[in-house]
Amino acid sequence: MPEHLLEVDRLSKSFPGVRALHQVSLTLKPGEVLSVIGENGAGKSTLMKILAGVQPADSGQIFVDGKKTSFETTRAAMDHGIVLIHQELNLCDNLNVGQNIFLGREPQKLGIVDSREISRRSEEFLKRVGLSVSPQTIVGRLTIGKQQMVEIAKALSVDARVLIMDEPTSSLSSKESASLFELIESLRDQGVSIIYISHRLAEVKRLSDRVIVLRDGEHCSELIGDEITHANMVSNMVGRDISQFYNRTPHPIGETVLKVNQLTTPHWPQHPVSLEVKAGEIVGLAGLVGSGRTELLRSIFGIDRPLSGSLEIGKKTVQIRNPKEAVHHGIALVPEDRKQHGLIIDLSVQDNVGIAGLQKNANRFGFANFQRQKSDTDTMIDRLGIKTPSARQIAKFLSGGNQQKVVLGKWLSMAPKLLLLDEPTRGVDIGAKQEIYQLIEKLASESMAILFVSSELEEVIGISDRAYVMHEGQLTGELDRRELNEESIMRLATNTAEHKEAKT
Amino acid sequence: MGDRGTGLLKIAGITTLLLLLWCILVWESPLSFLTPNNLENLLRRTSLYGVLGIGVAFVIISSGIDLSIGSLVCLAACLLALFLQVDYVPVGQVEVWQVRADASTISVAAEHGFKQGDELWYYKDRRNKGLVKVVDIGDTELLDGKSVTVLTVEPPPKRDQDSREEKPVGKISSTFDVVNYGGNAAELENNAPELKHNDKILFVHASETPREKTVDQNGEANQIILTDEDSGLNADFRAVPIRKTPYMSIPLALLSVFGIVLCLGVIHGLLITRLKMQPFVVTLCGLLIYRGLSRWLTNDQTVGFIEYQETLGKVATGRWETGIQFMPVKVDPTDDASSWKLVWDSAEGAQMFGIPYSFFIFLAVIVSAIIFLNLTVWGRHLQAVGRNEEAARYSGISTHRITTLAYVLCAVLTGLGGVMFAIDSNSIAPSSFGNFFELYAIAAAVLGGCSLRGGEGSILGVVVGTALMQTLYNSIVLLKIPDELEFTIIGAVILFGVAGDELTRMLAAKFRSKEA
Repeated sequence: MPEHLLEVDRLSKSFPGVRALHQVSLTLKPGEVLSVIGENGAGKSTLMKILAGVQPADSGQIFVDGKKTSFETTRAAMDHGIVLIHQELNLCDNLNVGQNIFLGREPQKLGIVDSREISRRSEEFLKRVGLSVSPQTIVGRLTIGKQQMVEIAKALSVDARVLIMDEPTSSLSSKESASLFELIESLRDQGVSIIYISHRLAEVKRLSDRVIVLRDGEHCSELIGDEITHANMVSNMVGRDISQFYNRTPHPIGETVLKVNQLTTPHWPQHPVSLEVKAGEIVGLAGLVGSGRTELLRSIFGIDRPLSGSLEIGKKTVQIRNPKEAVHHGIALVPEDRKQHGLIIDLSVQDNVGIAGLQKNANRFGFANFQRQKSDTDTMIDRLGIKTPSARQIAKFLSGGNQQKVVLGKWLSMAPKLLLLDEPTRGVDIGAKQEIYQLIEKLASESMAILFVSSELEEVIGISDRAYVMHEGQLTGELDRRELNEESIMRLATNTAEHKEAKT
Repeated sequence: MGDRGTGLLKIAGITTLLLLLWCILVWESPLSFLTPNNLENLLRRTSLYGVLGIGVAFVIISSGIDLSIGSLVCLAACLLALFLQVDYVPVGQVEVWQVRADASTISVAAEHGFKQGDELWYYKDRRNKGLVKVVDIGDTELLDGKSVTVLTVEPPPKRDQDSREEKPVGKISSTFDVVNYGGNAAELENNAPELKHNDKILFVHASETPREKTVDQNGEANQIILTDEDSGLNADFRAVPIRKTPYMSIPLALLSVFGIVLCLGVIHGLLITRLKMQPFVVTLCGLLIYRGLSRWLTNDQTVGFIEYQETLGKVATGRWETGIQFMPVKVDPTDDASSWKLVWDSAEGAQMFGIPYSFFIFLAVIVSAIIFLNLTVWGRHLQAVGRNEEAARYSGISTHRITTLAYVLCAVLTGLGGVMFAIDSNSIAPSSFGNFFELYAIAAAVLGGCSLRGGEGSILGVVVGTALMQTLYNSIVLLKIPDELEFTIIGAVILFGVAGDELTRMLAAKFRSKEA
């Protein structure tokens, strides 16, 4: 038995205009948790996709159990026991848990799917991942955290020996994350190797036996055991000190820009919400995933019409029935789902930046002003440091952080008074994160009002002047900068004052 | 917007296909393909179908579909024909509600303009008709709920009306003295109304058979020139002037048709955006509803524009002569060999090549569509909505309005196409007119590079796609391929065209990743 379960030798891969991976090698032992970290665009996702057979490498070799192999398809990778669990889960919402686990490999009797066998065998895998739901439950009814467990159960059902997890906790609550970590540890003890990709260094520190740092598509360094510290990882990733990570300069706070009075959203009709944001103020909106923060932003921006309550923009009560009216009142929303809602991913940077301003900049016959669009885009590329070969580049070829900057550029070209951000740094690498924080900081100092939703406590504490905390659709509290700490937020987010134990 | 490179590649690909097909036709069948007449026809058909193709392209770009085009073409055509229907109505004609032989009275609708001493022409059917003179005008009274005036006339009517007869029991109208008649000119009394070209005069006589004549023009002072001579006529006849009365004038009829199709487009759009119905379902129902409506409105009778030969007919058959004359001929007429040459200008057999008027309409549609789609805010929004409706909405675009606009544009262009097809064919059988046109239009759009996934497509591509479809049709005729195979061949070419397109796209993607 060779020492290494998986060995990767000098893999390289290029995309149009980008060298995604260059001569990257790694090894993986049985029962080891190996984390791969690096800024977005550092090549993590590409490496994982090659290992899972999603795309082929341009050059380099892969050995499993010491034997040279190559994967043309995900199926081939699976046959070798390598399974990728995507950041966006790949489950069919409309099928039940058992059907999802055995999707494509349904046990059959005389050509008819044997549902009883599916249920029986599913239960075994569900038990292994510690998920207590019936195999008959429709997947769409489960929380994201439980869906992820189902995805892992599915991986186990193909005898996975290597589980590749790409940002598994990005949409999990902290309780869900904790149970995921327990599961990972138990899988490791069962001899399953895990390749773990995350931007959350605390998780990486907690879980990893070994950490590989990628930078600009190259293997930059490897940390083992005690070397795995927060500071070490960050400095290796970005090559700079983190002490200035949340670097805040105080700036004056002005008049109230947004006032929400007793607003109820269609998702939480029983809980009216009131809050306000002032000019130059950065207000965090913390809480667990699914606590109604996104829904609140959607209602303010007119995507979902509020059931009751009112909005005041700059002391004037306004009716916002659709996003168009919200934009008209100087509100901008950077949504959580960049690829679906933030961008038109198949269009160019310029088309994306210019889309919101088309109407405003058009002449009176409705002809679009493309010079203006081009100059606005160039300004934004400059101002936000969007890394793109040109304004004509298609958005999907940019890294997550740069895509997010394109979304921001779209709104900044409209010079909004109020900027709503929903998980602005989700799926964004550390370097871009810091740039986004600096940008938020700068916009606030130019007296823009900012309301942002974040599930990362560190982030809320780091950049907010003030924060509201939500729990199951209601505002459970408001914390001033001095009161902001992980404990105070979590207490409100789980509403421990009311319930002994928070529901997940 | 978006990936310009692949867009151009698509157009280049399909244009190559079109040129290739033309080369085959020139090679195989030059003597029929290269005639000015055939080329004109190709141009005309491309223009007609092209308008529909551009219409559906808007909807396809919005990531929808419109299946109702064929039926809507038929409905627009039928409506136009109905709106332009012509009646010939005698001047001052009113209905007759009661005839009594014993009292020698005729009760007519109260809004008549007759005076005592007028000679009137009563007409019910071929046996019940005749000239009567008004002796006395009685009071207005109520008859079966209608207010009527009782006229005492002589000679008395031949018989009473039968009580079972359908009412009204005939019509009655004024007559005028024929002062003079000679050749093809009739001079009427002074107070006779002025008549226009294509109006008619019914010459009636107490004892002779009435004769209907068509007016060519109204000469000086009630001198009316008729289109033909009639030696049987003389000044003893009396004249019943008959006005040609279309239901609507041509501009009003066109405006009404466009108004109606526009409303239908709005309804499609609202059902799809507000009720969240699927475009396929909405327009499928449209397909059925408009077909049925067309048949019902026309009593399933073929309709046309026979009365409009000189106006609409001229537009339909009209062409702008380019001054270029040519004709493919055999080098040696007695030789059976396939060698041929083009003769030009005034050489024997050369014919004038003219551009059909419909092409100019098509050209205007193309230019406006290109400008709309690429240079205006709405065109841009349309492409954005087609690519990703959610992201467009999150960017503050009124996606409902834009989607509705796409259906409205499609319906209006379909209406325009319907009108063009209608006056071109001049014979509209409501049960089959426009059948499958939606599929031709969708096929041309898809062939031209529109993706049914939405957000993708160019107007020029659709134009070339339509030309390709029509050339295919032309080649089936010219190359003597069995008619029955028509759909098979068109289907196969579309299939290969689109498959080839996907293949080049894949290859291009591969090539690009290799290159980098």
